[in-house]
Amino acid sequence: MKLDFKRSALLLLASVLALSAAACGKSGDDGKTTTDSGASSPSPSTGAQADNTPITFTFFSSDPSPNWNNMQDEVGKVITEKTGVTLKAEFSTGNEDKVALIAASGNYPDLISPKNGASLLVNAGALLDLTELIEKHAPNLKKVYGPYMKRLRWSNEDPSIYILPTYAGVNHTAFDEGGVFHLQHAVVKELGYPQIRTVKDFENAIRQYKEKHPTIDGQPTIGLSLIADNWRIMISVTNPAFFATGASDDGEYYIDPKTYEAKLHYRRPEEKEYFRWLNHLNAIGLLDPESFVQKEDQYKAKIASGRVLGLIDATWGFADAVNSLKAAGKFERTYGHYPVTLNESFKAANLQDTGFMAGWGVGITKSCKDPVRAIKFLDWLASEEGQILINWGIEGKHYKVENGKRVIPPDVLEKKTNDAANFARTTGIGLYNLLSAHYGDGVKDSTGNYFTTNFPEQIQAGYSPIEKEVLAAYGKTTWKDFFPPASEFPVKPWGAAWNIPVDSDSELNVLFKKTQEIVWKRIPQVILAKPEEFDKLWDEFMKDLIDAGVEKQEKLYTELVKARVKLWNE
Amino acid sequence: MRSASDRLFDACNVVLMTLVAIVTVYPFLNVLAISLNESLDTVRGGIYLWPRKFTLANYEAIFSFGGLLVGLRNSVLRTVIGAVLGVFSASMLAYALSRRDFSARRPISVFLALTMYFSGGLIPTYILMRDLGLLGTFWVYVLPGLVNAFNVFVVRSYIDGLPFALQEAAKMDGASDWTIYWRVVLPLSKPVLATIALFVAVGQWNSWFDTYLYNGSEEHLTTLQYELMKVLQSTMTGNEQSYRGRNMTEVMATVSPESVKMAITIVVTVPILFVYPFLQRYFVKGMTLGAVKS
Repeated sequence: MKLDFKRSALLLLASVLALSAAACGKSGDDGKTTTDSGASSPSPSTGAQADNTPITFTFFSSDPSPNWNNMQDEVGKVITEKTGVTLKAEFSTGNEDKVALIAASGNYPDLISPKNGASLLVNAGALLDLTELIEKHAPNLKKVYGPYMKRLRWSNEDPSIYILPTYAGVNHTAFDEGGVFHLQHAVVKELGYPQIRTVKDFENAIRQYKEKHPTIDGQPTIGLSLIADNWRIMISVTNPAFFATGASDDGEYYIDPKTYEAKLHYRRPEEKEYFRWLNHLNAIGLLDPESFVQKEDQYKAKIASGRVLGLIDATWGFADAVNSLKAAGKFERTYGHYPVTLNESFKAANLQDTGFMAGWGVGITKSCKDPVRAIKFLDWLASEEGQILINWGIEGKHYKVENGKRVIPPDVLEKKTNDAANFARTTGIGLYNLLSAHYGDGVKDSTGNYFTTNFPEQIQAGYSPIEKEVLAAYGKTTWKDFFPPASEFPVKPWGAAWNIPVDSDSELNVLFKKTQEIVWKRIPQVILAKPEEFDKLWDEFMKDLIDAGVEKQEKLYTELVKARVKLWNE
Repeated sequence: MRSASDRLFDACNVVLMTLVAIVTVYPFLNVLAISLNESLDTVRGGIYLWPRKFTLANYEAIFSFGGLLVGLRNSVLRTVIGAVLGVFSASMLAYALSRRDFSARRPISVFLALTMYFSGGLIPTYILMRDLGLLGTFWVYVLPGLVNAFNVFVVRSYIDGLPFALQEAAKMDGASDWTIYWRVVLPLSKPVLATIALFVAVGQWNSWFDTYLYNGSEEHLTTLQYELMKVLQSTMTGNEQSYRGRNMTEVMATVSPESVKMAITIVVTVPILFVYPFLQRYFVKGMTLGAVKS
């Protein structure tokens, strides 16, 4: 009896210990929030030269950097020489697990790039408010962020600056645009370069070509293939619906530009018509019947075989396959990019400007030995001198200035392209870009050269002969020329809705998950249905969403959008 | 003379086992073939047993990253040290627990069993390691997992199955507890020790998460798996997170993440395969063990 009691007491004690430990583990994860912050842009200036005594800062980054060389690379040595700073860095594998440990354990590095883990650190009180440090010591950061300084603030309740957005380039302008609707060059060429402006044009081009060529290289021709493997359904099936109806990318939402009301974008009546068109494509046999079952590798293998005439996807989604086509010399089977919309009344808004997308970036922690030196270090990196060094390397070694233009000599370029890992490790070019604020592509420095090593001439130089031929036939020089320019659209004051952080304990997450499950199930169903059943199924789909609480979800999201507009603009 | 049914059985057996062997070996060969094929060509699909366009570029891409050699050394060290110490600790504890005259065997068994179902969770464990002063040391790979409850139970069940008379006999001949363990129990337990040595070795060899958690910034303590994990991550593009900020990471154009993944799989699998032949003879021995019983 007695022994039994002892034994059970021991057992009880042990289980209590175990359970409480487990509970601790859980509570450590509590309060996880998703936060995006990231901004960057370069600004010219040669920061005040002051304290260059050697100092070592510890740095943690949530992203990997496999070529990191402890700043023993050429660029790193110059950075140390100019600022006195050496970084002892740890690079994670791309997720934020470890930030939770850092936040919970209190062992903070001096500098940290926590990505979505930033809110954990802020909640733990680990990050310094940088507002004053920037004001006093960082003229270059102020210059680079310029009018976007407001976007650095944490929240309406806590307007401190905890994170310097370093992932996005300030004033970044892409030199080219891929859109989401793609047609093989062979198709438009054979049909005499018809206008590709609406989904009907797109459909007709595919249909006519497919009728003429039922097989390509002995295999059956596929009109249009989509990819719905897991989250890819958002990229290839649902996102194009808003692009085709004149909206720009706000993730799963459509934001009313006047009232800032958020709405799951498929609930817009316009988009129903887009899905009706996909349903119609399926009915007439132009849609690949495997669209909703194929896996990513099967999708790419199909494209790489050259027999898929049209694609609706982001360009990076099938870049591998296009490279494979090029390697096989089948350039006419690669794709052109067209600003397709449902009808002429819509204008493809792919290029609509979000303004600077503050988000992920670098913060200075409470444990930092010398926050002033730290901010000065980041400030130097954001200076014109710093940014040119980071992007271009050392003059005379990695680039030359010819007639006032920066040029990368062919032998350096050769190494950069063909021996990329080694090049990065020895020169350090490309290793320091995400450390501080920087300008994006298309921004010029005080000498009239671009800050980044990308420039428009490169884009055209990279086109294949047939690509140039097709563009010339349409009277364009780049694919971007097809798309209505950013100047035709207002800048979105909320940036982009997908970049608005949602607290991990918000009800929104649950509702979002629920409605997404419905969407991922219902969308394939309505597309593959018989056309006469489309309306009925669509109504059921809409009803399912409402039953799952979509209205509440939209209401909660609207609040977030409004808060974002206030935070970024007032 | 074997009967017809015997021969039928044999035939079925051979066919079935061949199928099982094919099913087991095929994925491995497929991975090998893909890892030796040009990644741009792999995209076209249809690589099964043999590479279509042979290349070593995928392996070159992996080995061009630094840290692999140090990582390899540490992985080998932790595998060897971890397996030796792990087997030793588990068998000692198991022996003690198997002795009926050990009064605390029940509570200790229960205590051990609990660790199989509950863990401290990530953050408390991390803080514990920190407070034990194990962060930034090699021993953080070995010590925390030294005694694995499951392994202990496996060994104990095995020892329980040995004739206790052997131990009694040894004792009567004047053997101490240690001598019984070392001279009687251990030699008889070779098959099960080989089994758990394999468990521990494979576990040690494959683990990368502890490196990531505890020694992420200590380059001299990195492990092969962790380095390869980083290589893999850095070649990943087009995943959900990075698709918004495509300019963030430089794309490696010549090799695709798929091919690198396959090459990495080969790099991490092959070395541990070499452990099997060394341990195999103990498995064979195990089967004849019953015959010796007097």
